[in-house]
Amino acid sequence: MPIVKLVQAKTVESDKRSHPRDLAGLMASLDAPDATARRWAARDLAPFTEAVPALVKRLRIETDTTVREAIFMTLTELGDANIVQSLIKCLHGEEVERRNAAIEVMKHLPDAVAPFMPGLLVDPAPNVRILAVSVLESLRHPDVEKWLIEVISEDSQVNVCATAVDILAEVGTEAAITQLEALKRRFPDEPYILFAADLALQRIGRT
Amino acid sequence: MSPTLKRILIVDDAATVRMYLRSILEGAGYAVEEAINGIEALEKALTLPFDLYLVDVIMPKQDGYGFLRELRRQDIPQAPAVMITTEAESRDQARAFESGANSYMVKPIKPEELLAHCRLLLNAPGDSP
Repeated sequence: MPIVKLVQAKTVESDKRSHPRDLAGLMASLDAPDATARRWAARDLAPFTEAVPALVKRLRIETDTTVREAIFMTLTELGDANIVQSLIKCLHGEEVERRNAAIEVMKHLPDAVAPFMPGLLVDPAPNVRILAVSVLESLRHPDVEKWLIEVISEDSQVNVCATAVDILAEVGTEAAITQLEALKRRFPDEPYILFAADLALQRIGRT
Repeated sequence: MSPTLKRILIVDDAATVRMYLRSILEGAGYAVEEAINGIEALEKALTLPFDLYLVDVIMPKQDGYGFLRELRRQDIPQAPAVMITTEAESRDQARAFESGANSYMVKPIKPEELLAHCRLLLNAPGDSP
């Protein structure tokens, strides 16, 4: 019925504009049922560094592509050291969903993440080192291969090395060959390491 | 493919891991399909019958826990699932079982361990795939 549709459309439109454009109002709009309202809230949160945890949390459950893009754009604009520190806290946290979302966001912030990466890769917690290596998977930064080579050369934890060698199989160059061979010698009884290192060497050999 | 061949879905975003698991499972006579995240896995689970799921925890878009929770809500014949993770702490195991996993393996995966899990969940002891 046209009248009902009109009323619904008006409600959605007024919802989009009725929340105050301050931090609290925008955070409320981030969970609005209407995707357009959520998208505008994500964009308008760009000046508020306090909104990072809420944006990361929303990203984990958001299914609308345009809203996800708006969240990434805002986080990228906010992408300074404070943001990255908030994301690193998520990596140390218990909540799997938030950790995964933090990884996804960090992949989009190469310049902001880079200064923190050497520290993350030697974090005392192996799980955090694995998550840091996972960030490198699609981080567009010139040091990615260098960091991965350092991991497979120095990290004593097999799963951290396994995650790094997975990525080296995709992005590795001849610079990684010596350390991939050394990794096989370091873990001669780990079938997965032998398999993954051989695969990486094979792929590098072909390029 | 033989109609009695057991079909296993590997759900992992790492291509190398999928290739590794596939090589072990196909070598042992299982039929293997792959998905790169929970969303793709659910689509496959809704269109193809599987006898076992091998599910990584950390994946983009939808992680292993989310996939298993969704899978268990579906009105389809349910198959056992093994959660594969790097985390060996008891809270993570509890989370895996709460999400709908039947078993739990900690990386790095050794071929004999993997096949033992498959035999346990799929067959009577000593049965072939």
